[in-house]
Amino acid sequence: MSSLEKNRADHKRYKEDVKKEGKPFFPYALFHDSLMQLVVVGVIIALSVIWKFTAQHEGGGTHPGLLGPLYTEKADPGTVSFVPRPDWYFYFLFYLLRIFKWPDSVILGTVGIPTLLLVIAIALPFVDRRRERHPLRRPVAMITAVLVIVAMGTLTWKGAVAKEPIASEAGALVPMWAQKQGFKGNADAEAGAKLFSQSGCLNCHVYTGAGGQNLGAPELTAEGAKGRGIDWQIKHLQCPSCVNAGSPMPSFKTLGADNLKKLATFLEASKGPK
Amino acid sequence: MSARKSPRQQQLEAALLYPVDWLDERTGLLGGLRYFLFRNVPRDTNWMQTLGAATLTAFLVQAITGVFLAMFYKPDPNSAYESIQHITNDVTFGWLVRGMHRWGASCFIILMFLHMGRVFLFGAYKYPRELTWIVGVLLLALGMIEGFTGYLLPWDETAYWATVVGINIQASGPFVGPFIGSILKGGAEIGPETLARFYSLHMLAIPGALIGLIGVHLYLVVRLGITSPPWSPVAAGRERDDEEAPPTGRVGLVSPAPRGSASQGVDE
Ligand code: HEC
Ligand code: HEM
Repeated sequence: MSSLEKNRADHKRYKEDVKKEGKPFFPYALFHDSLMQLVVVGVIIALSVIWKFTAQHEGGGTHPGLLGPLYTEKADPGTVSFVPRPDWYFYFLFYLLRIFKWPDSVILGTVGIPTLLLVIAIALPFVDRRRERHPLRRPVAMITAVLVIVAMGTLTWKGAVAKEPIASEAGALVPMWAQKQGFKGNADAEAGAKLFSQSGCLNCHVYTGAGGQNLGAPELTAEGAKGRGIDWQIKHLQCPSCVNAGSPMPSFKTLGADNLKKLATFLEASKGPK
Repeated sequence: MSARKSPRQQQLEAALLYPVDWLDERTGLLGGLRYFLFRNVPRDTNWMQTLGAATLTAFLVQAITGVFLAMFYKPDPNSAYESIQHITNDVTFGWLVRGMHRWGASCFIILMFLHMGRVFLFGAYKYPRELTWIVGVLLLALGMIEGFTGYLLPWDETAYWATVVGINIQASGPFVGPFIGSILKGGAEIGPETLARFYSLHMLAIPGALIGLIGVHLYLVVRLGITSPPWSPVAAGRERDDEEAPPTGRVGLVSPAPRGSASQGVDE
């Protein structure tokens, strides 16, 4: 018998068994299903209640309770401080992006891995064609599954506990930067450094050891040594993807020409430790 | 020895059933419903097999609470945030509806993953249920996109910046990447057009696709039947040795049934 014939015979036997020995969906299976459905609705309501009533007291909805704030501050495109963080079920991708480096491999993390996961999931029934269904007799499938779960779980966890630098803390580093990079006394560069520390740049970039690596953003400690020039820097800040095709860095146009000039001066003054 | 019905009772029954009969005569729906409810399922189904119904419930919670949220939500950057505050703080039970929508979304995603895990454990993606699995994968992907588009709507800082970066990541993709990025954005910057697009995707396009695919998914589930737990000694479709009597007693996942009785057998 070919394996397709065996499969067909299996399914035929399955249908006969269900007909002969099965139980009617109503009320038996439906009863279990309904109990489970009540549990789901109950859990959702319980979460909402905890969320609302622990966040409520003290200073409005932005005060986080056990389950986070009701909302954060209103979005402000010109804001100077933000955390580019997606909802939790994207954390594994979000954290993955810290592992890849711009520009060589970032595309692997942003597009490659999600597409790969999707393709593998869709292809699964055509790759694993054995008739065996018992988990203990499918060791390869089970071990792979455990590895995937552990990997995704770890990445999600790391993404959840990853700390972005807080603007006020980063601001305290500015004098140290001026000292190290030798732009002390250059008013524009110092103002730019301050802006840099407050504008969320450190959420993605590393600068003299501070900051997080997100989306494969390059370290900027020695950005000035690249010889880009102030005009280039301003253009890049206004529209990163116009200058470096495909850049995921957000536009900072809303900071205004004056601020961008200061930022650019600061970047160009960052020649790296001697 | 059923008690005979009085003519009055018979009349009453006929009157009550009349609309049902009327409907069935024209649509044939009753037959379908009867089949759905009274079809047999394997006798050994397991609690893990309620996860699909649980996922469906979470989806329905989203659909219903979403309808109410849409009555109060205003999809434009000048009033979106305020309308969310209004829903949360002023509208009667608005906080509950919004809370259920927000936490329901997470539950929906978690339940989809758990359900997928159970299907994987049971090997239930194999012949003839490959298509059920593929539709499931599409549901999972669409469900996550639905979450992504919904995340922007409150128009608070978290929402805004997560979306800025999310769209930029989209746009960094090869070939169609920039194209998708600019379609999502609807302009040079994330603004009113973006919000309008996300809103329409979030409450029309993606839910529509989800509902259609869930329909296909459930049709396939009913048509093909759900699997027995593969370790069950009385699994539907088990292979029989010639005159094997079904073993008795509880057989669990870790104390597997004798070879051949529970599994569908190994190839070759
Ligand atoms: C969301 C993450 C993110 C944030 C926030 C961010 N960047 Fe970037 N940045 C990147 C990525 C990714 C690259 C690499 C692609 C590119 O060059 O555009 C980059 C590149 C750069 C470069 C190198 C350009 C070159 O090729 O020489 C500079 C300079 C820079 N960013 C400055 C800044 C400044 C200043 C800020 C804050 C105002 C900032 N970035 C905020 C992600 C980010
Ligand atoms: C909107 C999301 C989904 C809904 C509402 C849904 C609903 C259901 C329901 C009610 C069943 C009946 C059996 C059970 O409850 O376990 C089922 C079975 C099934 N589902 Fe889903 N599901 C969803 C997502 C998924 C996903 C993400 C996958 C996998 C990638 C998947 C794959 C399957 C398969 C293969 C079966 C057949 C299992 C069997 O016959 O034992 N489904 N689904």
